[in-house]
Amino acid sequence: MTAVSAPTRTKHEVAKAADLPPGARKIVKAGRFQIGVFNVNGQYRAVLNICPHELAPVCKGPVRGTMLPSKVGEYTWGCDGEILSCPWHGWEFNLHDGKSLHDPKCHLKTFEVLVEEGTVFVLV
Amino acid sequence: MSTTLTPTLSQLETPAAKAQAIRCVDCDVHQSVGLGQFREYMPQPFKRMAESGCAPGHLGLYNPIGVTRPDTIEADGKPAASKPDGLARMLLEPYGIDVALLTGGVYGFSSHPDPDYAAAVCSAYNTYMIEHWLPKDPRFRLAINVATQDPLLAAQEIERVGAHPGVSAVVISSATQHPLGQRTYHPMYAAAEKMGLPFCLHPGHEGTGITNAPTAAGYPTRYLEWHTGISCTFQAHLVSMVCEGVFQKFPELKIVLVEGGISWLAPLLWRFDKNWKALRSTVPWLTRPPSETIQGRVFMTTQPIEEPPEHGQLKQLFEMFDAEKMLLYSSDFPHWDGDTPDYVVRGFSETFKRRVLAENAIELFGL
Ligand code: FES
Repeated sequence: MTAVSAPTRTKHEVAKAADLPPGARKIVKAGRFQIGVFNVNGQYRAVLNICPHELAPVCKGPVRGTMLPSKVGEYTWGCDGEILSCPWHGWEFNLHDGKSLHDPKCHLKTFEVLVEEGTVFVLV
Repeated sequence: MSTTLTPTLSQLETPAAKAQAIRCVDCDVHQSVGLGQFREYMPQPFKRMAESGCAPGHLGLYNPIGVTRPDTIEADGKPAASKPDGLARMLLEPYGIDVALLTGGVYGFSSHPDPDYAAAVCSAYNTYMIEHWLPKDPRFRLAINVATQDPLLAAQEIERVGAHPGVSAVVISSATQHPLGQRTYHPMYAAAEKMGLPFCLHPGHEGTGITNAPTAAGYPTRYLEWHTGISCTFQAHLVSMVCEGVFQKFPELKIVLVEGGISWLAPLLWRFDKNWKALRSTVPWLTRPPSETIQGRVFMTTQPIEEPPEHGQLKQLFEMFDAEKMLLYSSDFPHWDGDTPDYVVRGFSETFKRRVLAENAIELFGL
């Protein structure tokens, strides 16, 4: 049996962690990708800056919370600071897993983020 | 003496040469212009009214995304669409748009209770656009705005500015007090026909001011309902125009349904044709079925393009009427529900792409 080696990923520096506080974001070029790196309530998340709908630069959209599924006539706010909304047609994506809120099959491409000695890197 | 290396559009004689030079025509571009910019053109008392910010209200429906795309607000805090070079940079250049029909605008003043004020606003706006925007970019064409409270004033305005070479169309709000086929509106159509200008209907103000409720069932609770229901207003206007004999009375008039949806057309025409067979005697001037009456006379812009679960279903729908000849690409820039040209025509034949992105508009607007 031939072992298939995992494709090697490259580390791309994003920012000093101190420059990316909770709520902040930075859009960086990493290899052939443009990636948005977000500090989501203290956790770093990285997604491709292309919306699966009409290919908008999705990472330029606002990040907020949203209304959670609820009973008729009830409104429950949640996921504060976790939901990226596309600046074109407003599709909402959860930054934690990249998934859209309207269709589990529709999602943003996600990337792993590392923090080493106070510097944030994205793995591509 | 300056020499031009590229021929101007009017120098290109054949339609094929024009179509090659014009890759894409965007038939609905919302440059943003405020009352404050053109109130100087208004006589009193309207200038004072404009100074006070007098404008029709809105329904107060909430769109969490905002109507203007947030990524089109530039570093200086101004929308890109408020500047001719901003439009060129954010829309025309990235998407290869060679002609942009500027729809604006102030057509929403048709909801205002005062017909004289609404007409004065439209008139001042049209003059301002002709003087300050058209000279800024050869790709701009203007759809002059008119208000529908007083169709005679609208007709006068169409005749006043309609002959300007940069004016390619008339646009009104689809939010009205009556179905648009009714004879009270005919003077506007006569003027548009006389000036050779396609006549566009644009939504956005349904249910505001003095206009009818935004759906036949009444006032919906949310923007989502309101926006989805816009197609119903367009259906009512189209049925009215056909039945009231607008297409017979004005044989050269062309109607453009802007931003009213597309996918409803075929089933509406099936129902309409069926009813016409039985009820033809109530509209004896309709000698051909409605579906034939509108051929070559009614056009639809593509945005917001419908998105069925399978893209093939959209293709099937477009085979159910003469989509290739009727559709005109539109971006609706910079609004939240816009479409890019490549997204709209993806997966369609080369002929379809050429017709919808450019050729239909070149022929219709005489570009
Ligand atoms: S392009 Fe992102 S929601 Fe349409």
